[in-house]
Amino acid sequence: MKNCIQIRGLCKSYGDFSLKNIDLALPGGSILGLIGENGAGKTTTIKCILNLIHRDAGEITVLGYDNVREERLAKQDIGLVLDECFFPAALRPLDVGKTLAPAYREWDQKLFRDYLGKFGLPEKKLIKEFSRGMKMKLSLSAALAHHPKLLILDEATAGLDPVVRDEILDEFLGFIGDEDHAILMSSHITSDLEKVADYIAYIHQGQVVLSAAKDAILDSYGRVGCTAAQLENIDPRDVLHTRKGAFGCEALVADRVAFSRKYPMLLVERTTLEDIMLFVGKGETK
Amino acid sequence: MTGLITKDFLVMRKMLRSYLLVIVVYTILAYLDFFDYSFIITFVQVALSVLPISAFAYDEQSKWDRYAMSLPLGRSRVVGARYLFVLLLTLFTVAFGLAGTALLYLAHQADFLEMFVILMVSSAIGLLIPTILLPLSYKLGAERARPYLYAIIFIPVIAVVLLAKAGVLDMSMLKGMDLLAPTALAGRAVLLPLAGLVGLFISYLISCWVAAGKEY
Repeated sequence: MKNCIQIRGLCKSYGDFSLKNIDLALPGGSILGLIGENGAGKTTTIKCILNLIHRDAGEITVLGYDNVREERLAKQDIGLVLDECFFPAALRPLDVGKTLAPAYREWDQKLFRDYLGKFGLPEKKLIKEFSRGMKMKLSLSAALAHHPKLLILDEATAGLDPVVRDEILDEFLGFIGDEDHAILMSSHITSDLEKVADYIAYIHQGQVVLSAAKDAILDSYGRVGCTAAQLENIDPRDVLHTRKGAFGCEALVADRVAFSRKYPMLLVERTTLEDIMLFVGKGETK
Repeated sequence: MTGLITKDFLVMRKMLRSYLLVIVVYTILAYLDFFDYSFIITFVQVALSVLPISAFAYDEQSKWDRYAMSLPLGRSRVVGARYLFVLLLTLFTVAFGLAGTALLYLAHQADFLEMFVILMVSSAIGLLIPTILLPLSYKLGAERARPYLYAIIFIPVIAVVLLAKAGVLDMSMLKGMDLLAPTALAGRAVLLPLAGLVGLFISYLISCWVAAGKEY
């Protein structure tokens, strides 16, 4: 399977923050969920992919093209939905079509209007009168109307109600049906990623701390609930992170089955991506 | 690139419509001898030259720049689209100016040459303003570049008046222009917007250089 995005050794420093040696791969026919706290480096990574900022080191290929030297070729097949709607408020949806059509070889005005209709967006209403959900649907319609092979979504579902989010997630699943298509999706809403993502990359303080298939993570990682005394008796090599609260302690383990076998008296539960984020973001290493 | 130019016209359509209305109304008033046509042409030309800066402000408001730079165009084409927008505005105004001038010349035997010279001078000014302001807007952003607009317009005017009052600048040299043959005067006037175009091209290269180094 060909990688739609391949990032090797990406570094970018801002002085007080830096991306350090980011390695990521997004195989065709799959969705890669990028998770991490605010300011962890998700948007910086996406900006590097889009060549909006200049990287210090590393290389990025998008759909087989170098994202800097062959920028225009690489971007022809990218559909982009960012965390906000970047279309000027004085435009109407049909104006967006007129603006974007000349930029893309494969722009399909009929498909664009079909999406507007499907999402219930009035073609001639000013964008400034749109709700956030409508704006995101407009961005998605524009992102899909040139038959892209790769969708890059930066917090695209943030601030949307569950119904709209579900509608948009369905669209992503439909898009990914084609083996040549792929989606890179950064989101704080880990439940969305648990629903649709095939792979998860967790960026923490500018570094990838976890990158694996989502099912492998959820099947393997576990959360141990215990007392402080029990935690003391656990071999530090068997836990990744711990959290101590007023009512007990918790630990994150990488191999739930192996841990249960070694510590049969302790209860190990399945964990969620949100749990993992909380452990890494707020927990301690033993 | 044509899409981005279309976008600028669509975003500015309300303002452009009102300028068009002003031109039409004042052309009628000039036709009826209520107004000096050359004044209104100069006013519209200068007013339009500020529009690209307003387009910048609208772009900043919606953070359009980041999106535009994500399109498969490349930074120099995104910058080029804004400069072509400037050129088209100038061309429209010159076309309207020439049409109005011709109309008034035919109807009233107005001084065609004087109006033509004023049109050329105002076109040059109309090109000069974005020539200076666009690279500044790319570098500083529309809001921070705006004060420079006032500096560009007022500082040269104040400087000329002060220098003339101090006797450093001999304003009588302007009277010498009356001695020039009308065709020679018109020929020299045409050079002004041409110089403006050269300046605009240099400004485009500077803006491309600024945009290339910028992070969005």
